[in-house]
Amino acid sequence: MKKKAKKKKNKAVRFVKKTLGIAALAYAGLFCVFYYDLDGKLLYYVVEPFMKNHFDNMERRDPHTVPYEQIDSEYMK
Amino acid sequence: MRDLKHLIYFEDLLQEANNELVRKGKEDGNLCLGYTCYFMPEVLLDLPGCFAVRLRAPKCTSPDMASYYMSGRTCHYGRSLLERALEGGFNFIDAQLATETCTVTCRFQEHLEYMDDVINNATFKTSFTDVPFKKNANSIDHYRKQLKIKVLDFLAKEYGVDTSDEAILKAIKINNEVNDIITEIGNFRKLDNPTITGYEFSVITLVSMVCPKYLIVDKLRETLEELRTREPDDKPNFKIKVLLAGSENDDPDFIKLIEGCGALVVADRHCYGSLEARQHIDIREGEDPLTAVARHYLLTSQCARFMEQKEMRHRKKVLADYAKEYNADGIIVESNKFCEYWSFERMIDTIVLPRDFGYPVCSIEKEYINTASGQLRTRFQAFVESVELKKIQEDK
Amino acid sequence: MKKPDLKKLKEVDFKKAAKDFVYGKPHGERRLGDLYIPKTGLYKHREWRGIKDTMYYFNNIWLYNYGMIVRDIMVYGGGPKGLIQFLKGTWRYRWMGQTYLTVMHWFDRCLEGMRGETLAASAWHFRGIVSACLYQITGFFNRDLNIGGDPALRAKTIGTDETVWGGVIYPYMDQGGYYLPTQMIPYFVTCHCNNHTVLNYIDAVQAYGLPGDPCPMCQAEAGIYIEDDVPDAYVAMVTTNEACDSSVGTSVIQDWMMNKPLFAMPQVMQFDDDSVLENCAKEIEMAWRFMEEQTGLEFHWEELKKHIELQNKQNQFEREKWDVAANTHSYPINGVAQALYRIFYSQYGERPFWHDVDAKVRKIMEKCVTEDINTFPMTRHRVIAWSCAPLYYSAWCTWAYNCWGLNTIINMDSLMFDLDIRTDTYENCLLDIAKYHEWAPMRRMAVGGLQHIFELWENMEKFNCDMVMMYDQLQCKGMQGVVGLFEDEFRARNIHAIWMPHALPDKRTVPRSQIRQIINDYMFTVMGEEPLDPSLLDFDDIDSW
Repeated sequence: MKKKAKKKKNKAVRFVKKTLGIAALAYAGLFCVFYYDLDGKLLYYVVEPFMKNHFDNMERRDPHTVPYEQIDSEYMK
Repeated sequence: MRDLKHLIYFEDLLQEANNELVRKGKEDGNLCLGYTCYFMPEVLLDLPGCFAVRLRAPKCTSPDMASYYMSGRTCHYGRSLLERALEGGFNFIDAQLATETCTVTCRFQEHLEYMDDVINNATFKTSFTDVPFKKNANSIDHYRKQLKIKVLDFLAKEYGVDTSDEAILKAIKINNEVNDIITEIGNFRKLDNPTITGYEFSVITLVSMVCPKYLIVDKLRETLEELRTREPDDKPNFKIKVLLAGSENDDPDFIKLIEGCGALVVADRHCYGSLEARQHIDIREGEDPLTAVARHYLLTSQCARFMEQKEMRHRKKVLADYAKEYNADGIIVESNKFCEYWSFERMIDTIVLPRDFGYPVCSIEKEYINTASGQLRTRFQAFVESVELKKIQEDK
Repeated sequence: MKKPDLKKLKEVDFKKAAKDFVYGKPHGERRLGDLYIPKTGLYKHREWRGIKDTMYYFNNIWLYNYGMIVRDIMVYGGGPKGLIQFLKGTWRYRWMGQTYLTVMHWFDRCLEGMRGETLAASAWHFRGIVSACLYQITGFFNRDLNIGGDPALRAKTIGTDETVWGGVIYPYMDQGGYYLPTQMIPYFVTCHCNNHTVLNYIDAVQAYGLPGDPCPMCQAEAGIYIEDDVPDAYVAMVTTNEACDSSVGTSVIQDWMMNKPLFAMPQVMQFDDDSVLENCAKEIEMAWRFMEEQTGLEFHWEELKKHIELQNKQNQFEREKWDVAANTHSYPINGVAQALYRIFYSQYGERPFWHDVDAKVRKIMEKCVTEDINTFPMTRHRVIAWSCAPLYYSAWCTWAYNCWGLNTIINMDSLMFDLDIRTDTYENCLLDIAKYHEWAPMRRMAVGGLQHIFELWENMEKFNCDMVMMYDQLQCKGMQGVVGLFEDEFRARNIHAIWMPHALPDKRTVPRSQIRQIINDYMFTVMGEEPLDPSLLDFDDIDSW
C-alpha cells in the first residue's frame, strides 16, 4: 500500500518536474525568439511576402461597375 | 464673324486688376471691395457706395515671393494673387471680403489680414465668412447669419455703408440687369452655329466681374444688341462643341487655346464662369432680400465642396444637363494643379459622365496661367479627333 | 581554429561588463544603431536593457501583449466564432493580413532605449491602442457581410469618416449601437504599424485618375474604397469635412464606392465666432436622426450623459499629465506614445480599455512625481512638435531622444479636443459637442484662421519647450500655405525650429533616413552639438515596417 502511494507520489513529482521543465524550456525558447527577433524575421521574410502575394493576386471589384445613382431615403427630402 | 465692337476695350480691362473702370469707380467716391469666391455674394459688395471686384492676377507666371510664403506646392491661383498683392497690385482695394471655401485662397486672404503692410491702403480691412457645405435650411440660415455679421455689419460698422433692405434691393437690381444681359449673350452659344465664341464670352463675363457694374453695363447692353444681328460664319470654324467644367479659370487665353484646337466652348461651369454667377436673383414672396441672397448663392452653386450625398451625385447630372442644353458634344473637365476639390471631382467625372450620361470627357490638369500650352494642345486635339470619330460612327 | 586574442580579453573590463549586463549600458554607450539588420529595420537581436528592464520587456510587454492580443480577439470577437471571423478577415483584407501581424515591432521601434517607468508607462499606452484596434477589427469582421458576418449586428452599426468623433454613437450604445470609423483601422493605424500596405491604396486611387498632389492621407482613404478593402460592416455612413478640401473630395469617392446612404456632417471652418455653434449643433442632431432612421435605434440621453462624463474624466487626467509634462522632469511617457494614445482615444471616444490604461499610467506617474524620478535624464532640448506628423515615422521622437537628447514633450494633435463637455442640460451638452467637433484635429489648429496655428508660441511657453519640430507635410495645402509666415516668426522670435518634410503615410516622398539627416544636419551645424549615440546617425531602414 505504502509502496503504491510512494510510487504515485513519485509519479506526481516527476510530472510536476516534467511540466516545469517543459515550461522552463518553452520560456527559454520564447526568450530566444524574443531576444533574437525571430518573430520579426519570420514575419518579414516569410509571412508578409506570402500574404502580399496573396493580396496582390486577389480578384477585386472593378470600380467602374459601381452604380452612381441617387439613393432614396427619408432624410434626403 | 465680324469683330465685336467693344472686345478690344474689354480685353484691355482684363490686363490689370486696377483697370480704368476700377479707378473711375474709386474716383467717384465708391469703396472698392475685393473677393475671390462665388460664395462671397458679389451683390452684397455692390451696395450703394461700393463696388465688387473679383480678384485676378493676369500675366502672373512666376509667383516667386508668394512661393516663399505659400511654398511651391499650393494652387498657382492663390499664390499668384498673393504675388500680385505683394507687388502692390491690390493696393486699390479698400476691404477684402474673404471666405474659407478653398484652402489656398483662404490662406491668401489670411496673409492680407495678417501681414500689416501687404495692402498699402489705410482703410484696408479683411472679414472672413464661413460658408456651409450643404444646401439645407439649416445651411441657408447659417449662411444668412454669417453674411449679416461678416459682410453687412462689417461694412456698416467699418465703412458706414448703407446695408438696409432697400440698399440690398438696389444692388440686386443692378446685378440682375448685368446677370440678364450676360445670360442672354450666353444663350447665343446654344445656336447650332453660335454667333459668339467661348473666348469672347469669357472676356465679357470676366469684365462684368472685375469692373463696377454701373460703369460697364452700358457697353454690355450694346454688345448684346450687336450680337442680336451678328451673322455667324457660313462654315463653322469648329469641329465639336464642348462644355468646360472644373476649377478656377479666369484666363480667356485658355479658352482660346481649346478653341484653337477645334472645340468651341459653349458652356462654362467653372469658378469665374457664368452659368452660376450670372443667374437672375429672385426674391420669393415673404422673403427678405438678405435671405434671398443667401438662398440664391447657396442653391445655385455646383461647387465640388458640397457634401450632401444627393448634391454630390446630382452635380454630375447638372453637368450632363448643361451639355445637353448647350448642344455640347463633349465635356472638358479641368482642375488647377493642387486644387484638391477638383482633383477628386475630376476623377469621378471622368468615369461617370461617359458611362452614365454618354458624354466623352477630356480630363486635364492645368496651371493658372498656361504658358506651356503644347502639351495641352496635344490633349485637346486628340480629344477633338476622338469625338469627331465618335460622331462619324454615330452618323453611320 | 583561430586562437583567442588573450590581449584583447585582458582589456575587457569584466566589472563594467557585469554592470552593463545587470543594469544595461548607460545612454551614450548603447550603440542602438548597431542592432539593425540593414534595410529591414529588423534587429540582429533586441536591445539588452539590463536584467530588470529586459525581463520586463520580455514578460510584461512582448509576451503579455501577444497573449492579450489573443485574449482580445476572443473577448471582443465573442468566443471561437470571433476567432474564425478574425482569421477570415485576415485572409480577406490586406490591411489586416499584411499589416497588423507585425504589431510587436511597432512597440520595439517606439520603445527603443526606454527604461524603467518610462518603458512601462509608454508600453501601457500602446497596449491601450492595440486593444482599441482589436475592438474595432473584431467589430468589423463580426459584422462584415463579405466574410459571413452577422447582419443583425451590422444593422445597428454606423460607419463614419475617421474624423467623425466617436461620441456620436454614445446615445445608442446601450442598445448595441456601434461606431466604426472606416479608415482608422484599414488606413491610419496601419501606417504607424507597418507602412508597406498603405502604398497599395495610394497607388490604387491614382491608377483611376487622381493626381498625385492631393493630401496622401486622403488619397489612401479613397484608395481603400477603390480597392474594395473596406468591410461591408455598417448599414449607413456619416462623413465630415475634416478639415481640408481633400477630405471633402475623399467623401465623394467613398460615397460612390460604398453606395450606401450617407449623411454629411460637415463642421464650420471659421469656428471662433460663437454664432456658428447653433449650425453645428443642428447638423449633429440631424446626424442622430439619420442614424436612428437607418438603424432603428432610439436616442437615450442618460446613456449619452454617462459616456460624456466618463470621457470628461479621461480629459481631466490628460490635463494632469500635461501639467506633469510641462512643469517637472518626471513625465514618464515618450513623445510617440503620448501623441498616438491621445489622438486615438480623443477621436475614437470613451471605452473601458482607456480607463484601464489610465489607471495604470496614473500609478506610474504618481510614483515618478513622488520619487522625483528624472524620466528622460539625457534631455538636452525640450521639443514641441507642431502641425501634422509623418505617420510612417511616428517613432522619430524615440530616435531623436536616443540619438540627440531631443525630448518631445507635446505635439499639436494632442492639444486638440481639450474640452470638458457639460452634461447639466441637453442644450449645453449639444453646444459643447458641437464645439468639440470644431476643435477636432486639423480644424482646431491648422485651419480656421492663422491665429490658431500660431497658438504654437503660447504652448511652447506653457510646456517649457526650447525647440520646435515643425512638421512640413508637403501635400497639406493648409500648412504649405503658411510656411513663409512661420519662417518669419521663427526668425523674429529667435526660435530653434527644424522643418521636417514628409508626406504623411507615404514614405517614398521623404524617406525616414532623409528625415534623420535633416535633424542631424541641424544639430551639427546650427546647434553645434554632438550625438549621444553616433550609431543612430545614419542607418538604412528603407524597407522596414
